[in-house]
Amino acid sequence: MAPSTQFEVAQPPNDAISALVFSPDSPSRLLVSSWDKNVYLYEVVEGADEANLVNSYEHRAPVLDVCFGANRDEAFTAGLDQQVKRIDLATGEQTVLSKHTEAVRCVVFSPEHSILISASWDNTLHIHNTTSPSQPHLTIQLPGKPHAMAASPSKVVVAMTARLVHIYDLPTIASALASGPDSASSIQPWQQRESSLKFLTRAVACMPNDAGYATSSIEGRVAVEWFEDTAESQARKYAFKCHRQAAPEEEGGGDIVYPVNALTFHPVYGTFASGGGDGTVALWDAEAKRRMRQYQKFLDSVAAVAFSQDGKYLAIGVCPGFETGMENYSGEGKTKVFLRELGETEAKGKGAK
Amino acid sequence: MGKKKRGHPDVEEILARPWCYYCERDFEDLKLLISHQKAKHFKCDRCGKRLNTAGGLSVHMNQVHKESLDKVENALPNRQGLDIEIFGMEGVPEDILQQHQQRIITNFYTAQAERHAATGNPPPGQSGGQGPAKKIKIETPDEIKKRLADHRAKVAAQKAAGANGAVAPLAADGQSPAQGTSPFPPPQAGFPYPPAGAPGAPPFPPAQTYPPAFPPGPSPPPGAASAFNLPARPPSGTAAALPQRPPYFYNGAGAPPPGFPGSPSTVDELVAGAARQGDDIDQLIRMAEKGIRPAKGATPGEEVGGEKKSKKDKEKNMRMVYADTEVSPEEKMALLPRYRFAIEA
Repeated sequence: MAPSTQFEVAQPPNDAISALVFSPDSPSRLLVSSWDKNVYLYEVVEGADEANLVNSYEHRAPVLDVCFGANRDEAFTAGLDQQVKRIDLATGEQTVLSKHTEAVRCVVFSPEHSILISASWDNTLHIHNTTSPSQPHLTIQLPGKPHAMAASPSKVVVAMTARLVHIYDLPTIASALASGPDSASSIQPWQQRESSLKFLTRAVACMPNDAGYATSSIEGRVAVEWFEDTAESQARKYAFKCHRQAAPEEEGGGDIVYPVNALTFHPVYGTFASGGGDGTVALWDAEAKRRMRQYQKFLDSVAAVAFSQDGKYLAIGVCPGFETGMENYSGEGKTKVFLRELGETEAKGKGAK
Repeated sequence: MGKKKRGHPDVEEILARPWCYYCERDFEDLKLLISHQKAKHFKCDRCGKRLNTAGGLSVHMNQVHKESLDKVENALPNRQGLDIEIFGMEGVPEDILQQHQQRIITNFYTAQAERHAATGNPPPGQSGGQGPAKKIKIETPDEIKKRLADHRAKVAAQKAAGANGAVAPLAADGQSPAQGTSPFPPPQAGFPYPPAGAPGAPPFPPAQTYPPAFPPGPSPPPGAASAFNLPARPPSGTAAALPQRPPYFYNGAGAPPPGFPGSPSTVDELVAGAARQGDDIDQLIRMAEKGIRPAKGATPGEEVGGEKKSKKDKEKNMRMVYADTEVSPEEKMALLPRYRFAIEA
C-alpha cells in the first residue's frame, strides 16, 4: 500500500481561505479562494509531494467561494463585491456574469445541466446558463440569507439562516431557464426542510450518488439526511457530535465546541470528510456511522476541505477561525493549504454493519 | 481492631486492588486490568489489534494505518494523553496514585459511615480512641506536613512572643520537640486543663497552648517539676497571651498587665501574631475535639464533591467558540475594516 503523505502547498494565500476546489477533470489542479481578494490556482506535482502556484486572479474584494466550470480552464467566483464572475484560468480574463445587491456567498456549478447558481446575502439565487452567457439570469427569492450551498447531480441544497433548508430540483431549474426570463416564479423548492441541527448551518455537502446530503453547524455537529421523502428514508437520517474538546478542569471543565466549517464527500467511496474549528479533519463512514480516521491536529482552524475528483488527494485549508468577539481577525501569515495523498483504502468505508 | 469481613472488604484490600489509570476502574487482579486496558484503551479501531501500551498503539497506527493517534480511547477527559506510558499499574504518576488512594479512602469511609448509620451498629472498636487513631494513620503525608507547618508557625509565633516578653524561651523550646513529633497527642483531648486555682493566671486561658506540650515533653523545664504549669506561664502569658483575648481583660477584674501598653508597633505585631496563633489553636482544638475527623473528612470530601459536580455540569457546560446563531462568521468578517468592500457609487 502506498504510504499516505501530507505536504504543504508552497506560496499559500496571504489571508483566510474561503474555499478549495479540485478540477473535475484533473486531480492535480486546485483552486483556492481567499479573503486576500485573490483566487489561486495550484498544480500538484505527482510523486514529488509538492504543489506549485500556477497563477492567481485578483478581485476587487475578498472572494467567498470558487468553483470549476465545464472544463479545467473555466472557474466561477463569488465575492464580497457582490459580483459573480467567470474566470478563464488560462488567460486570466474575468467576466462579470451578474451583480447581486449584497455580497455573494456561494457559487455551485452543475456540469450535468450547465447551470451556475450563485447565492447571495441579498436573499436571492441567480441562475445562469453557462452555455449562453448572453442569456439573462433568473432570480429566485429565498426566505433567508444563504450560508451554504451544494449540488448533487440532480439537486441543489441551500442552507439559510433560521435553520431553513431548501432543496431545488436541477432538471426543473433547467427547463425553467430554457423557457425564458419570466419563468423564475415557476421555480419552487422541490422540498423545504428545517435543518436537523439546532444551530446555524455552516456547511453542506451532497453525496456523489445523489442519495442525500450532510450538513454541519457552528455547534460541533454533523447531520446526514436523504433526499427521498419517504418515512423510511427520513427515518435513516441522523446527526452526531464532533469537533469538540474537553476543556481543562482548571477552566471549569466541560466541552469546547467548535464549528464544523467544511464537509466534502469522497467521490469514489461515498465517505465524507469534515473540517472543524478545532483544527482537525475527520473521515466518516456515513453508512456504517463510524469515524474512520481523525488526522493530526493543525495549528489553526480547518476552513475548507476538498477531495480531488479521483479521490486521491484531500486538500485542507487551514487558517485561524473566526470566534465570538473577535475584532481584529486576520488570517495573515497563518493561512496554509495542506495536501494529503491518501492511501488506496484510506477513505474506503467498511460498509454498513 | 474488631472483627472484619462480613462482605465488606477493608480499606487495605480495596487499596491493594489494581486499577486503570485511564478510567479509574479497579480490578480483581493485574491480569484482568491489563486485558481491560488492551481491550478498552489500547485497541486499534481500524483492525482491532490489541496493543500493550498507548505508545505501542500509536506506533501501530502510524506504521500500519498511516494514521496518528491523538488520544487514548475511552479515557477520562484529563487522562487521554499519550505522553504517559501506562502498562497495568506501571507508569501511573505519583500524584495521580495518591489522588486515587485518597478517593478510595474517602469513598470507603463514607460508605462505612453510611452502613453504620443504616444498620445502627457502632463502628467496630469505636470506644473513643480507636476510630480517630485509625484515621490518623491514613492521613496523607501532605496533610501531616501541612499540620506540621501550621504547628511550626504557631511555635514561631510563641517564640516571638516569648522573646518580646523577654522570658522563658525555655518553655517554647521545650515544647517544640514534643509537639513536633506528634502534633496531636491523645492527651490533648483528655488532659484536664489546669484547675482554675492556677494562681496568678486565671484570666489567661491561652494557657491551653501549653498543657499539651508539657506532659509528653521529655523533661519539664527545670524548677517546674512541682508545679509545671505555673512558673512557665505567667511570663510568656503576660506577653504573648494578653492581646490574644482582649475580652478577658475587660471583663475580668484582673489588672491590665504592665506589658500591654507597650510600643504600638510591637503590640500590633503581637496582636497579629497572636491572632494567627489563636486561629491555629482554635482550629487545632476543634479538630482535636472531633477526633481530627474534620480535617480528614473535609479536604477529600470537598475534592470528591467538586469532581462530581464538574462531571455533572459537563453535560450543560459547553463553550462554543462561535455562538451567534443568526449571523455567520463570514458576515462578521465582511464587516471588519480589513475586508469591508465599499461599492463605488
